[in-house]
Amino acid sequence: MTRRAEAGLIVAACLLAAIGVAIVEFTQGNWLDAQVALTFLAFAAAFGGVYLAVIRWAPGASSLLLPLAAFLTAIGFIEIYRLDSHLAALQRWWLLVAAAAGALVLWALRDAGVSVLRRYRYVILAIGIGLLLLPLLPDSWLVYGATVNGSRLWVRIDIPGASRVMSFQPGEVAKVLITIFLASYLAERAEAMSVVSRKIGPFEIPEPRHLGPVVVAAVAAFLVLVYQRDLGASLLLFGIFVGMLYIATGRSFYVVTGAALVVIAGWTALVSFDHVQRRIEAWLDPFGHFSEAGYQTVQGLFAMGSGALTGSGIGLGRPDLIPAAATDFIFAAVAEEMGLAGSLAVLTGFSLLIAVGFGIALRSRERFRKYLAGGLMLVIGLQAFIIIAGVLRLMPITGLTLPFMSYGGSSLVTNMAIIALLLRVSHEERT
Amino acid sequence: MPALFFNIIKLLFLLLLFLFLWQVARSIRSHVGSNPGVRTDGMAVELVILTGDTETERVRIRPKGHVIGRSPDADIRISDPYSSEFHARVGIQDGDVVVHDLGSTNGTYVNGRRVTSPTLVTRGDTVQIGKTILEVR
Repeated sequence: MTRRAEAGLIVAACLLAAIGVAIVEFTQGNWLDAQVALTFLAFAAAFGGVYLAVIRWAPGASSLLLPLAAFLTAIGFIEIYRLDSHLAALQRWWLLVAAAAGALVLWALRDAGVSVLRRYRYVILAIGIGLLLLPLLPDSWLVYGATVNGSRLWVRIDIPGASRVMSFQPGEVAKVLITIFLASYLAERAEAMSVVSRKIGPFEIPEPRHLGPVVVAAVAAFLVLVYQRDLGASLLLFGIFVGMLYIATGRSFYVVTGAALVVIAGWTALVSFDHVQRRIEAWLDPFGHFSEAGYQTVQGLFAMGSGALTGSGIGLGRPDLIPAAATDFIFAAVAEEMGLAGSLAVLTGFSLLIAVGFGIALRSRERFRKYLAGGLMLVIGLQAFIIIAGVLRLMPITGLTLPFMSYGGSSLVTNMAIIALLLRVSHEERT
Repeated sequence: MPALFFNIIKLLFLLLLFLFLWQVARSIRSHVGSNPGVRTDGMAVELVILTGDTETERVRIRPKGHVIGRSPDADIRISDPYSSEFHARVGIQDGDVVVHDLGSTNGTYVNGRRVTSPTLVTRGDTVQIGKTILEVR
């Protein structure tokens, strides 16, 4: 696809966002107002800006990543706008910040390329782990951790002199940094790690010392679970570790061991933490726990059920009844108002994005770039899978944002940075 | 009447979503799919023998390819007891470097994995024949 066609698709996605906002206004009995124009301008400025950055600094990049990211952001934004126009106004600003971050990544790597990241991998790892631990800071400090909905994921900064508090989720950025580290670590070790030293039954077992990273991953993910009480982040982190080991070595042994560890850790968590226990109970029998832990899940199910095939129409449903509809449960809100058709469009959008991302990884000749692209795609793909599966009650609900669609600055900025890195990799590996 | 109007708007919007996806999906073919291998356009690709008893140390891969094996008639002759007479062929197909196993007894390994069908290789990949290891550069 040409750059021209890409630009056309980006404009189309921006128009989709504006049309959605216009429909919301209509159904609320208002006429077109400045919101529609503001939305179009914000989207056009954000994605148009990244598009220009691509033309300038990564002209060989894949032309499908940006349109798909814009498409998903647009659908999410419409639903956020419909739920809370004040939140949507903030999200517009975040979109601009995210685009600036994406362009900044492309600019920073314009000469050196992604391989420069390999040189700083231990610095990157240290920052990543530091960010992961940041929410554990005591409450009395200037920069402190905060517990929201039972999970300690947020960091707040009191800005001196102002009564404003800035808050963000450092874990969002941390998982990207850890992925970069893993990609560069594996680029050097993968060969040794895929050597088979013995066989037990159908499984080919690598040498025991290569198991180190898997065990470290399991321990790190478990610590996140214990200290930050965050099931989603812990599962995501571990999934990224195991997935990248599999991408690098092609040994199913790592996946099998990983799955076994998840079961063991999950069981341990189930018997020792009551918040995990409540989640599992709410998953198995949400209607029995309607008035407490199961409420959110049940409201999500009602929303999706009432959406039926084509939905209630944007602005005509009641997604505001779902707790956290603009963040974790945005998928249920979309399913209610745009129906099965709309939610399938979202799933298709994610599938296409993931296919393009893994395509970039598959076609990369250099190991680091291959693992980086694969790992970054795992971050987006696994996260989307875990939260959508939670909303659909395929697995217990874990608080994660749906990439590009949920309201949230940290998440949007991170995902845009991921897209920028993928763009850069595809530019360097253009075929 | 407004209900009908809203219904039409709703369906039109969904149609727009899928039109967008259709446009993307149409051109996705060229973006996915597996490794295109080493494009040889104009650039020399060499086969370097890393370990093993042979007279050849490195050879530039020519379009019609090289047969590697223990036979004196092989293009690249290796004195390796684990190699077959005509063990494998490394050639260029549509600009990609391809390794064919020629029905050898002990197999041909690309990056440590046994290959039975023609396999694309890229720079940095290793090809193992018996105890002889070659690298594509």
